[in-house]
Amino acid sequence: MQVNEYAAELSRAGANVGGRWSAARFLARRYPLGAIGAAIIAVFVFAALFAELITFHDALSTNSAMSLAPPGAGYWMGADNFGRDVYSRIVFGARISLAVGMGSTALGCLFGVALGLLSGYLSGWVDLLIQRIIDILQALPLLVLALVMAAALGPSLQNTIIAIAIPLIPYVARVIRANTLALRELPFIEAARATGMSDLRIALRHVLPNTLAPLIVLATAQLGSAILTEASLSFLGLGIPEPFPSWGRMLSESAAEYVRTAPWLVIFPGIAISLVVFGTNLLGDAVRDLLDPRQRT
Amino acid sequence: MNRNYRSAVATAALLLGIFAAGAAFAQKQGGILKMYHRDSPASASIHEEATFSTNVPFMGVFNNLVMYKQDVAQNSLDSIVPDLATSWSWNADHTKLTFKLREGVKWHDGKPFTSKDVKCTFDMVMGKASAKFRKNPRKTWYENVTDVVTNGDFEATFILQRPQPALLALLASGYTPVYSCHVSPAEMRTHPIGTGPFKFVEFKTNESIKLTRNPDYWKKGRPYLDGIEYTIIPNRSTAVLAFVAGKFDMSFPTNLSVALVKDVKKQAPQAVCKIEPTNVNTNLIVNRDAPPFDNADIRKAMAMTLDRKAFVDILFEGHAGIGGAMLPPPEGGWGLTPAILQTIPGYGPDVKKNREEARKLMQKAGYGPDKRLKVKISTRNIPVYRDPAVILIDQLKEIYIDGELDVVETANWFSKVARKDYAVGLNLTGNAVDDPDQAFYENYACGSERNYTKYCNKDLEKLFDQQSMEPNKEKRQKLVWEIDRRLQEDVARPIIFHAREGSCWQPYVKGVTVMVNSTYNGYRYEDVWLDK
Amino acid sequence: MATYLVRRSLLMLLTLFGISIIIFTLLRIVPGNVVDILFDAAGFVDPADKAKLEAELGLDKSIPLQYAAWIGNLAKGDLGYSYVSEKPALDEILPRIPITARLAGMALVFSILFGVPLGVISAVKQNTGLDYALRLVSLSGLSMPAFWLGLLILMAFVAATDSIPIYSAAPKSFWQALLMYSVPAAAVGFRSSALIMRLTRSSMLEVLRQDYIRTARSKGATENSVNYRHALRNAMLPVVTVIGIEAAFLIGGLIVTETVFNIPGIARFLVEAIRWRDYPIVQNLVMFVAVIVVVVNFAVDMLYAALDPRIRYSD
Repeated sequence: MQVNEYAAELSRAGANVGGRWSAARFLARRYPLGAIGAAIIAVFVFAALFAELITFHDALSTNSAMSLAPPGAGYWMGADNFGRDVYSRIVFGARISLAVGMGSTALGCLFGVALGLLSGYLSGWVDLLIQRIIDILQALPLLVLALVMAAALGPSLQNTIIAIAIPLIPYVARVIRANTLALRELPFIEAARATGMSDLRIALRHVLPNTLAPLIVLATAQLGSAILTEASLSFLGLGIPEPFPSWGRMLSESAAEYVRTAPWLVIFPGIAISLVVFGTNLLGDAVRDLLDPRQRT
Repeated sequence: MNRNYRSAVATAALLLGIFAAGAAFAQKQGGILKMYHRDSPASASIHEEATFSTNVPFMGVFNNLVMYKQDVAQNSLDSIVPDLATSWSWNADHTKLTFKLREGVKWHDGKPFTSKDVKCTFDMVMGKASAKFRKNPRKTWYENVTDVVTNGDFEATFILQRPQPALLALLASGYTPVYSCHVSPAEMRTHPIGTGPFKFVEFKTNESIKLTRNPDYWKKGRPYLDGIEYTIIPNRSTAVLAFVAGKFDMSFPTNLSVALVKDVKKQAPQAVCKIEPTNVNTNLIVNRDAPPFDNADIRKAMAMTLDRKAFVDILFEGHAGIGGAMLPPPEGGWGLTPAILQTIPGYGPDVKKNREEARKLMQKAGYGPDKRLKVKISTRNIPVYRDPAVILIDQLKEIYIDGELDVVETANWFSKVARKDYAVGLNLTGNAVDDPDQAFYENYACGSERNYTKYCNKDLEKLFDQQSMEPNKEKRQKLVWEIDRRLQEDVARPIIFHAREGSCWQPYVKGVTVMVNSTYNGYRYEDVWLDK
Repeated sequence: MATYLVRRSLLMLLTLFGISIIIFTLLRIVPGNVVDILFDAAGFVDPADKAKLEAELGLDKSIPLQYAAWIGNLAKGDLGYSYVSEKPALDEILPRIPITARLAGMALVFSILFGVPLGVISAVKQNTGLDYALRLVSLSGLSMPAFWLGLLILMAFVAATDSIPIYSAAPKSFWQALLMYSVPAAAVGFRSSALIMRLTRSSMLEVLRQDYIRTARSKGATENSVNYRHALRNAMLPVVTVIGIEAAFLIGGLIVTETVFNIPGIARFLVEAIRWRDYPIVQNLVMFVAVIVVVVNFAVDMLYAALDPRIRYSD
């Protein structure tokens, strides 16, 4: 549902809302945890967008004199062994993490929706074939794919996004397919077909919007999950390569080596990852409560 | 009275002497040494591998002809002692090296060791035998050897084309065990048979390596240990935690960075740790045949912009060596002294001045603050290669070079290098022995496989041969310095630093010596004992 | 039902066939093979030796021929030889399977044992402090990278006790053997248990509101019997789905956990084999994992049908 429609419904029900912002405030009060989650994400999005403005050092410049400097003046979160400012790397890392999260989610949803719609709406042998593709995608372990991709194409941001997107595709496709199958039989679809609308238009204009709710729920959860997956990939030596600041790599590379001698190298990336994922989980829960009450947690 | 007094003192001295000698023989027999291993060796055959991941576990299975004395930390020609050879001698013109071999030595399967085994080993290494190794990384070490002949069962002679006193250094290396005639190379890869203090028990890929005491070892009383067990733990954080928790007696040798050693000492203050040079240096391989580094000025500018101290401070917290191709003194026996280093462009302490000169060279080549040079810095996708590359990229910014990190998977690295599909690469070179013969011929001789940049200087090659034939140490040292200096001035392969790594062990592990100028030669472990 | 089963089996075979082709081709079009890696460690390449080794391993033939050879041998039960260790692939893979199976099994048990009851408690005590606390803990379990959780556990053990629950081929006591499997299983299962807890909670909440629960209550059934008999059975449906989905994601968690806790299972072995380009090992292991995933999905579908009488398969 659009927020405007929601606002209209709310005022009909007697709530005192007028327009978008009041609706937003109302939602925030009704779903406080979700609001917290949204606020956390907003902070990181802001950091990602305005990274250059809110940092004082370059995230990539090394400085042997500041190697392993503890948090202090000018270096709010200390410096790593290269003398790079941890705070800058966390802020620029937000850019990378959000790129990975949103990129892989978008890519996965795009292909997943396409496959799910095709499979659910057209059925027949197309359905059978796509279902096999989905099965295959699901049975190939993500890390195997990531390793092979890194070996073939070299580790890079794009390859990491693709590698993380692929396991999402079967998941999305299944959900979309299930919903499409259910919707296909509904009267209003029959009516649209009767008026001569092409299948494609029906799929895009009538079926898709009604499958959006579970999709949004899935996508919000996937955002955080992608960041965790990237951290695991870094731990195994894949993932986003140097010198880009990736929280996952920052954490995995300093995890045991510096936790006692330079804990700031471990604490801040760890907190960043946990906060963003926590935030997406909270937001995802609230979105689910809002849009798809059947799946309430 | 006097006589009584003197005899009392004499008796006391005698008793004291016996007591002291007795204390020196306090080594305890028994116990199994537990270590973790950093990765799974490709095979158990030392002759076929070129990494100390194979040497560490399997050097104890073998003997060499001659060996570096295992309790002398600095390997040199002076610390070479008999192993399977009891004595050796050169002929008059130093082209024949004859070894008298030890009698009564048995292989682990009971068969007797004879001179035929020596001939078989080196025929295989030189590629002359019908039995072939799958890989033969050190074939080039023996290019100067025309043949190995035997005279009876206990004498073998190496026949050389020209004198090479340092051949002994190559034979003493941990990379030069003696194999037998009756065990095939394939079996040596999976179930090695040697004459050494430890017998091979099992090698479970990716899991563990087990060795047990050789009760028939020809050195009576050795080894002290009942066996050695290696648990393969690829994740270093886990391995170090396990060492700290007491699950292992020793860390994998030279496996701990300076930061990790600090961390270990914090958690386990009783552990004994040593940080020593490994004779592995980090250097730049430069493609001289393609732009932009076909321009000698740009090459020189890059060499001059290096702030080596920054590398050492960042990666080793100050503990690493700076030098030329040979490991710097005092641990290295042949390296350039600081006095000579100062005279080489780029090594002087005034980094700012060096960089200004470098910038002038770049401007001469047509680059400046508005026209920057984009270059790919290629290296392997593992931290020990990547980290220096990150620093290098940062330093090159000073001379208008914008480097982009190009990480390459291990499987593709060497083919990429062989194809010369790189502009500049960050490389690690490990030297098996601290001897100029090994370092110069392997890395700088025209046509050598490991001369990745195909650097070829005929004049210097003549000097290589000259120093190789020189028996007098002082004269040879001067020649080596001359060669090293010219290699650096010619920007053949800019050496950034000589690494130092740490090894730790629990306090009850005795008899461990960490070699200070090589990480390939100190793992016979026949003198190690557990004081518990 | 019988036609459905036959049809389903054929489709599963088709899927497996597709996977075999994909993994086989992917491995071979990726640049660099085991010969490159073996020689690379030596820091040089002798083209003659390389060519000889490649011919020995059969890597010089065309891809379709190699594929035919592999599938042909597979049908006979011959999985080939590991390129690296030169031992039969079966000898390398077989001993490792029970180790990972134990770990995965215990992780599954752990996640159900903790997830379901805690989810029920959370649903029954909705919106109380206990509910919030449980939800917080479960969310934190989903917010940490798996390797970090594992390393934290290890560090805590080393700091608190003098032992470390990593794998040991010869555990000294029953207690050590138990820890050796249960601690990593807990690390793997933590994430799944959090998911299962949340799902159980939501399904329970959903079902508790429904009509037939009210009917049961009005008939005089006790509170407990209402909860555990009627509600739980129906709440298990989405949980079973999650188990099906998690089976595929489990491999990722297993790889990381086996690496951190140094467990010599097939997950860690798979990663190493890929690094070495040890094709026989990688191909056979990936097929094995694929078979497991496909079979688990099938089992989940059947379980779903058993639990929910409204679903019947009659495609």
